[in-house]
Amino acid sequence: MPNILTLSLRPLIAWEASIAERSSPAPGAAAPLARDLSEAEDATLLGWAAAGDRRAFDALAARHLPLLYRVALRVTGQPAEAEEVAQEAMLRLWQNAAKFDPARAQLGTWLYRITANLAIDRARRARFQPLAEAEEALDPAPGPEAALDARQRRALLAAALEELPPRQRAALALSYDQGLSGAEAAAALSVSTRALEGLLRRARRFLAARLRGEGE
Amino acid sequence: MMPMRLDDFARLLDTHGADPARWPPGAIPAARALLERSATARGLQAEARVLDEALRDSLPGPAPEALARMRANVARAVARAPRPAAPERGGLLHWLRPWLPAGCGALVTLAVCGFWLSRMPQPAPEEVLGAPRMLAMMEETPE
Repeated sequence: MPNILTLSLRPLIAWEASIAERSSPAPGAAAPLARDLSEAEDATLLGWAAAGDRRAFDALAARHLPLLYRVALRVTGQPAEAEEVAQEAMLRLWQNAAKFDPARAQLGTWLYRITANLAIDRARRARFQPLAEAEEALDPAPGPEAALDARQRRALLAAALEELPPRQRAALALSYDQGLSGAEAAAALSVSTRALEGLLRRARRFLAARLRGEGE
Repeated sequence: MMPMRLDDFARLLDTHGADPARWPPGAIPAARALLERSATARGLQAEARVLDEALRDSLPGPAPEALARMRANVARAVARAPRPAAPERGGLLHWLRPWLPAGCGALVTLAVCGFWLSRMPQPAPEEVLGAPRMLAMMEETPE
C-alpha cells in the first residue's frame, strides 16, 4: 500500500518521466531564436509562422511585401491603396497559415491571387490614378527631346492604363511585371490560360494603339 | 517546322511581348525564322519592345520607407492577432463527408424521428374512444 510520501511524489515523478521521454527536437524544429530565417524557404517559414513564430512571419513579409505592393500598385494606381492591399494580403496569410498546405498550392500564387482580388475590388470602387510618382522618379533624361518623348510616352501610357479594366491590369501585373508563367498567372487570377492570354492580348493591343496615338 | 504567318506573329507579340524568353518554346523557332526573313516582323517586334519598356518604366517599386512602414504595420497587426487557427477536423464525419450523398443528414434525422415515434407508448385498445364505443355510450346516456 503506497504511503503518503509516495503519493505526494507521484505527480512530480510522472512529470520528470514525461520530460525524459521527450524526443530531441528535429532540425526544422529548432528553438525560434536559433532559426536561420534568411535561408529558410517560404514553406518552412510559413510552417514556423503557423506554430506561432511571428519573427518567421516577419521574414516572409519582408520577402513578399515588395512584390505584392507592385501588383497592387499596377491595378489600383495609388500607392496608399497598394500599401493597404499588400498588408491585408499578408494578414490573411497569417490567419490562414495553419490551414495552408504547400503540397496543394504555391504560396506565391496564393498571395498573388489574394492581392489581385483585393486590388481589383478596390480599383472597381475607386477611380484608377495614374502613377504620378513614377513619372518623377524614373526620368533619366539623356537629352531634352528624348526626355520630352519619354514623358509624353509615360503620360500616354498612364492615361491608357487608366482606361483598362482592372482585370486586364492585373493580368499585365502578374505576367509582365512579376514575370509569372502563363499557368501561374492564370491560377492567380482563377482563369484558364486561354482566358489569361485574351486579357493580355486585349490590354496590349489597347495600350499599343494609345502609344501610337490612335483611339483618342 | 510550319512557317509562321505575320498575323500569328503579331498575336504572339500581343500576348507574350517582344522578349523571346517569354514566348512559348514551341513557337520560338518559327518566330525566329520569320524575324530573319521579314522586315515587317522585325518592325512589329520593335513596336512591342517599346510597349514592354514603357510598361517596365511605369511601375516603381516601394520606397524603402514605404516598405518599412508596411512591414511594421503587418508586424503590429500580427502581434495583436491570435495565433493561426489549425484547420478543424470533425473526426469520422470529416473523413466520411466526401462520400456521403447530399441530403444524408435530413434522411438520418427523419429515420431517428420515425424510430422515436414508433417507440412511444401506445394506448390500450380499450382506451381508444372508437365509434362503436361512442355509440354504446350514447345509447346508455339517459335522455
